[in-house]
Amino acid sequence: MVAESGGLLSSFERYISAPGGDRRTHFLAFRKLLKESILSAPKQASSALRRAITPTMDYTTACDCIRLAKRLQSHVSAPVEPVRIAIVGSGTTTQLAELIGLFCFSKGLSTDIYESAFGVGAQDILDAESGLYEHEPHVVFIASSFRELRERPDLEVSRSEVDRLAEKEVNHWQKLWQTLHDRTGCLVVQNNFDRPPWQPLGNFEVAHPAGRASFLNEVNRNLARTDLPFVVIHDLSHISACSGRWNWADQRFYHHAKLPCAPELLVDYAHSVASIIIAGRGLSKKCLVLDLDNTLWGGVIGDDGVGGIRLGQGDAEGEAYIAFQRYVLDLQERGVILAVCSKNEDDAARIPFLEHPEMLLKLDHIACFVANWNDKATNIARIANELNIGTDSLVFVDDNPAERSVVRQFLPNVEVPEMPADAAKYVETLDRHRYFQTLAISSEDRMRTEYYRSSSQRQVAESSATDIEDYLASLEMKASIAPISEFSLQRAAQLTNKSNQFNLTTRRYTAAEISARVESEDWVTRVVSLSDRFGDNGLISVLLARRIEGRLVIDTWLMSCRVLKRGVEKLLLDHLCGIAQDFGMRAIDGEYIPTQKNRIVAQHYEGLGFVLQGTAANGGSTWRLDIQNWSPGDHHITEIQT
Amino acid sequence: MNELRNTFQGIMREVFDDDDIVVSDSTTAEDVLGWDSLMHINLIIAIENHYSIKFATAEIAGLQEDGQNVGTFLQLVANKLK
Repeated sequence: MVAESGGLLSSFERYISAPGGDRRTHFLAFRKLLKESILSAPKQASSALRRAITPTMDYTTACDCIRLAKRLQSHVSAPVEPVRIAIVGSGTTTQLAELIGLFCFSKGLSTDIYESAFGVGAQDILDAESGLYEHEPHVVFIASSFRELRERPDLEVSRSEVDRLAEKEVNHWQKLWQTLHDRTGCLVVQNNFDRPPWQPLGNFEVAHPAGRASFLNEVNRNLARTDLPFVVIHDLSHISACSGRWNWADQRFYHHAKLPCAPELLVDYAHSVASIIIAGRGLSKKCLVLDLDNTLWGGVIGDDGVGGIRLGQGDAEGEAYIAFQRYVLDLQERGVILAVCSKNEDDAARIPFLEHPEMLLKLDHIACFVANWNDKATNIARIANELNIGTDSLVFVDDNPAERSVVRQFLPNVEVPEMPADAAKYVETLDRHRYFQTLAISSEDRMRTEYYRSSSQRQVAESSATDIEDYLASLEMKASIAPISEFSLQRAAQLTNKSNQFNLTTRRYTAAEISARVESEDWVTRVVSLSDRFGDNGLISVLLARRIEGRLVIDTWLMSCRVLKRGVEKLLLDHLCGIAQDFGMRAIDGEYIPTQKNRIVAQHYEGLGFVLQGTAANGGSTWRLDIQNWSPGDHHITEIQT
Repeated sequence: MNELRNTFQGIMREVFDDDDIVVSDSTTAEDVLGWDSLMHINLIIAIENHYSIKFATAEIAGLQEDGQNVGTFLQLVANKLK
């Protein structure tokens, strides 16, 4: 491991830990050092700047970071193709666009952002020749606010008429989404409506069917029920309420410059939108690594004993730790993997989980539990290794600034939020970062800990099996291979967007795009589910291939990394060759498109007996397997019919 | 007024990230490179936060209008600080 340059990092630590009043001063010192490092050590500068970009920074600091990021990007070329984003709003979106770009940058995503000219929003969507379409956006963000509501019911109208208008309102927006998607295949991010703080009807606003608040709530409810796979409703209403509606609707800057909200609050607004774009790219975090003492309970278990730690009802601080555990458990239940990294004796560290009556978190919730006296950077690298995920999927929460600093220094890809001294603020601190943003939640997500836990058990079995073939045979694996169906569509789309490592072409598809391929005669779509004696792994592999001139051309082949080296790819190839023979085809073609993360499959086709056809300048390659040269692969998986 | 002007100059340097900026009472928005409508909002916010004051809607635009300069703006700030 290589440490980041010390001066810059300690300057960053001084800034991020500074109390409100001194924060700006420390930021300016950090900025000065950072500017110097851009030339001498651009990589360290980039890493430090990314860490400094947080959703809670003030607007002035955010604007400074925008300039720093631009300066940095002019020195370091972007490693991957930028995400093309179009922002459609009727007010001024310049600051919002810059900030969205900044937060994407902080997660390693470069962006190319187009803004519809002031006030022409909808025309840009309707006109097929507009600059918006010329931009070929991957994502279109419709930055609407309550001012763009088309309908406004009169106070006299009946409730059913109000309901009809609310539907009409949503239909209007739906047409725009459909137009956008039909023309570009983009992901549409649509704001719901923020509620103005003023209430001409007073408290009766929400009760009167035609009150503005009542109507807005109805429209927002209808928006929330949107089930188009290419549309994400961004909860602007929540963002505005979080900051306080009067603070949000700072009318001065609307009148002055048509800003959608108070400038200070643009920071959080942009962060929220960016988190959706980041999640859409599969870059949300996957695993929360937790310290124990003074993070999950008050006090030190090794010193205070299970009766002495502060946890549970009757003690204000103890209740705060319970509230944090409740939040962490809620994350776990929806699919965030939990790990523990504690400096403790292993036995002592487990005692509260086993014996404390008020502990909400149990050992079953923890996919990987590491308690020893090694440094935390080493331990966290080990956790990533055991769970078979990248360190860039981890968030590390620790009350101890020294531990945070070590991890920041040695594991630049791990997110390490600055934690407050007060445990009552842990939930807010973690939640505001939106590390685990998600666009959908599947039943697979809810079972994730089970997968990873049994995966850790498998690793134990693996290390005890002397021969890998014996080990694989001992797993008693069973797989089913089936065309993509309405039941597997969402999960398949999720995998195409999330899988980075075992992914030959890294083509991202929406559910709608996959659905179109399922219905097409030219396409063969398959998903693989795998179970073994430790449990059900669920749907773990997706393959999309196209019939072209007597050949089967593999467009997408990906697999979840938790079932790596299990022989699933051999089984799937056998299956594919069967299909090719049924069609009377001669060959199967494959392609490898290299990315930063998929080096693991560079030799995938070679290993399966394909013959190299050509290589590209970027390291990509194309491969062919003649069906007549194919013989079934060796593996230990029984194919079952479902 | 001198102290106010110095602080203002410091904030200007901070916001524009340019340590060479020197302002006098007669400085106008046109005299400073990059002082566009976007930077103007950034500056207003930085000053509001620094002094814990709020400008009225008309005052926000004021500094960019004809006949207005740093001197008239600082007078405005001084009045708010009284």
